[in-house]
Amino acid sequence: MAQVHLRSVVKKYGGLQVVHAINLDIADGEFVVLVGPSGCGKSTTLRMIAGLEDISGGEVLIGDRVVNDLPPRERNLAMVFQNYALYPHMSVRENLGFSLKIAKRSQSEIDRAVDDAAEILSLTPLLDRKPGQLSGGQRQRVAMGRAIVRHPDVFLFDEPLSNLDAKLRTQMRVEIKKLHQRLKSTIVYVTHDQVEAMTLADRIVIMRDGHIEQIGTPLEVFERPNTTFVATFIGSPPMNMLPARVGGGRVVLTDGTAFDIPPGHKVEEGQDVIFGARADNIMPVGHSLPATEHVAEVKMSVQLTEPLGTETLLFAQLAGQEVQAKMLNPRPVASGEVLTFQINLDKCHLFDAETGASLRV
Amino acid sequence: MTTDRTHRNRKRALRIAHFIGLFIAMSIICIPGLWIVLNSFRPTVEIMAKPPVWIPNELNLDHYRAMFGGNGQGGVPVLTYFRNSMVISVTSTIIALLVGMGGGYAFARYRFKGKAALFVGLMATRAVPGVALSLPLFILFARIGIIDTHFGMILAYVAMNVPFTVWLIDGFFRQVPRELAEAAEIDGCTRWQAFWRVEFPVARAGIASAGIFAFLTSWNEYALASQLTRSVYSKTMPVGLLDFTSEFTLNWGGMCALAVLMIIPALILTFLVQKHLIAGLTFGGVKG
Amino acid sequence: MVTPSIDLPNGLLMTRLKLPPWLVLLLPAILILMAVVLIPLLLSLYSSFTSYRLTRPDSITNWIGTFNYEKAAKDENFWAAFGRTVLFLTIALNLEMLFGLGLALMVSKVTKGQRLLRTVMMFPMMFSPILVGFQFKFIFNDNVGLVNNALQSLGLSSTAIPWLVDGKLALFSIAFAEIWMSTSVFGILILAGLYAIPQDPLEAAKVDGCTSWQSFRFVTLPFLMPFIYIAMAIRSLDVARAYDMVQIMTNGGPARRTELLWTLIGRTGYVDAKMGYANAMGYISIFLAIFFTVYFFKKLTSARAELGMGG
Repeated sequence: MAQVHLRSVVKKYGGLQVVHAINLDIADGEFVVLVGPSGCGKSTTLRMIAGLEDISGGEVLIGDRVVNDLPPRERNLAMVFQNYALYPHMSVRENLGFSLKIAKRSQSEIDRAVDDAAEILSLTPLLDRKPGQLSGGQRQRVAMGRAIVRHPDVFLFDEPLSNLDAKLRTQMRVEIKKLHQRLKSTIVYVTHDQVEAMTLADRIVIMRDGHIEQIGTPLEVFERPNTTFVATFIGSPPMNMLPARVGGGRVVLTDGTAFDIPPGHKVEEGQDVIFGARADNIMPVGHSLPATEHVAEVKMSVQLTEPLGTETLLFAQLAGQEVQAKMLNPRPVASGEVLTFQINLDKCHLFDAETGASLRV
Repeated sequence: MTTDRTHRNRKRALRIAHFIGLFIAMSIICIPGLWIVLNSFRPTVEIMAKPPVWIPNELNLDHYRAMFGGNGQGGVPVLTYFRNSMVISVTSTIIALLVGMGGGYAFARYRFKGKAALFVGLMATRAVPGVALSLPLFILFARIGIIDTHFGMILAYVAMNVPFTVWLIDGFFRQVPRELAEAAEIDGCTRWQAFWRVEFPVARAGIASAGIFAFLTSWNEYALASQLTRSVYSKTMPVGLLDFTSEFTLNWGGMCALAVLMIIPALILTFLVQKHLIAGLTFGGVKG
Repeated sequence: MVTPSIDLPNGLLMTRLKLPPWLVLLLPAILILMAVVLIPLLLSLYSSFTSYRLTRPDSITNWIGTFNYEKAAKDENFWAAFGRTVLFLTIALNLEMLFGLGLALMVSKVTKGQRLLRTVMMFPMMFSPILVGFQFKFIFNDNVGLVNNALQSLGLSSTAIPWLVDGKLALFSIAFAEIWMSTSVFGILILAGLYAIPQDPLEAAKVDGCTSWQSFRFVTLPFLMPFIYIAMAIRSLDVARAYDMVQIMTNGGPARRTELLWTLIGRTGYVDAKMGYANAMGYISIFLAIFFTVYFFKKLTSARAELGMGG
């Protein structure tokens, strides 16, 4: 069990800097997910914690030890890889017990640890198979078992579910969460899938181009995104973003449609802004949630519908841009039909058009 | 912090050891060849000098001039040998490639009974040592009257190279997805067109390297050539090297010059093919 | 799967002959190998039961049964050469494997100029074995050779060391030349193996607490085994290349101290003109080569199965 601290950690490949002075403090027993599009430096950061990449600048601490120059084997970590990284020439049992064998533990101790891990992950009937004879999900479980067996200070997961099909992914997500509740160990988890990040994390770290954009609990990053990037990255479907300008104390879209300023935002007259609203907060009258304090109404023509059962996703046109909205208690909507939508301004956002930073105060 | 420092020191020590080891290994690999090249430019007196002359006083082209000057020094008809080697190696390589392409394609694309056994059988013919084969071949060729001819040598070298070209080309065709040819057939090609227009171009680089490998084998072969060639008419360069030796003396300088002449084409070809060769050997072998 | 009944390219010819296409494609290879390898081998099998001598062509009909084989079995020189060949091959192949492994590991760790090093590494592969023979005959020459010149100039030895004349030294010199010539085959193939190793298990091993040696021993080496066996199989296919080299360097001398099976066969057949006897010994050498090849192919298959690469 241990905390992990990153102090101004930098990674450079030759002249190319891929991680820019990152600071991050992870508490003991915390489940932290690094999320971001590919190439954002999240895997590199994880691999620097693991010791698989040299650290070009700054410090990484595990517990209270600076581990910059320690080889991975002395950091007492366990890692689950995207491609599982099972040793193909060893049976499942040997794979699970390998790290303990290297640590020169007694055979009885190894057997006990392997049996326990196999029990937890229901791998017992597969112990004598080779990795080549296992399905994707089974391999994934062996990879996790290999991590559990070590009782490491920190677990590292590098996109562990991205090679599984959708159904298996949901299932393994639950298993990982259960595992964390049971072991109460520190976990650093890397993924590009925001759903995984939202469902698993105690805290989410959103990265982009080697910088941290925002750190926060899943609800924080969802409800109070710091930047347009976070706003569009987290949540599905992505938040609608409409360019606008502040005029006469209102938000004016490019076609002249105007709303009140969403509460909690500080803007200047004439400022270029971006108006952000999630589909959940744009609903047709009669098919919406009970009205809140600040509501705007707007007419839009519906181009396309995606029925999802309990609700229908509507693709409509506003100020020359496509806007996604939701319809509760859905009824069939014809293409081209014009509906009146209610926008819940309490849940809407304004960002600076130039910097993309949130204007919330 | 102390552990940090010891780790850094150990890393540095390893780097130095690595450099020294690599330097020694590369020296052992390079020096014998460079020594030969150097001596091909030195006058015989200097090669034979006692005590040895380390820094050459004089470098000249005498040995090369003698070699190409027809029947000059030692009277070794190097140019004729060079031509024989070229004709025999090139022709046998082309034939071995054609035969190998047929065989390799059959192994890569068709399933049939006894395939594995046939494959091992083909390979086993390559395991027959040249000396052991040269005895009966000599008898046979002498009977048919193709001893000491280009034809006889070409025949022998084709046979020697076929197992290997089949193996390599099989490996390369395996890397070409079967769907590619199937798509071509659906697009209206006959089986033959699908092969020639699609599969062959994709595997071309690999086939070329199999060819270069076959060429080098023929170019460098000695055990068979030394028995199946008798005269200037068909002698190849490896056999010609022996012309520089007599019972008691050896013309070192002349031999070194001929050696350089032999190595240059091999050097160029190997350089061209190195990447494909590694890929071919490993894909053919490991992916089975 | 393609069934043999499908019409092939120039389908006319094939259907008329009613041969399955794979056979048509393989036929040239089979025919030429039959003509140049199989038939001669049958001939030599036959002649090994006769007293055939090159100088007396009619002696090929003189059937003497297994006399030649019995003679070989009782021939001390033959057994000495046989034992020496097996020993020579065992030592040379193993050393080549070790040096090749070391070389490949060193080259793979280089960050700059790796292409150049790889090319240099393949240098000896381009040399004709006979050229290697001459080269080392020159280098180990007791009078003008590089080795003695260097030793004497450095004052490490006052006398000329008879590298190729003394029995033990000659065997060492030959082994040195053989290892110089063939280590790169191992080096190149093992290097290819190193490139092909997936990085994940190696990183997993690091995180699992392996030292560099342990990662090598438990992960790298098992992955390399198929490549090592391929190299062994390829090498055992043409171990007889060493014949060219040995023939030039010592031709089995001095006093048969470096006599290997192949030089013995060559001398018996051509110099002593005892073709029948030479062919009998030739057969034994063929079986030796095939044995080694099949052995390593078997090893290769099992190593592949071990890694789950399938056949």
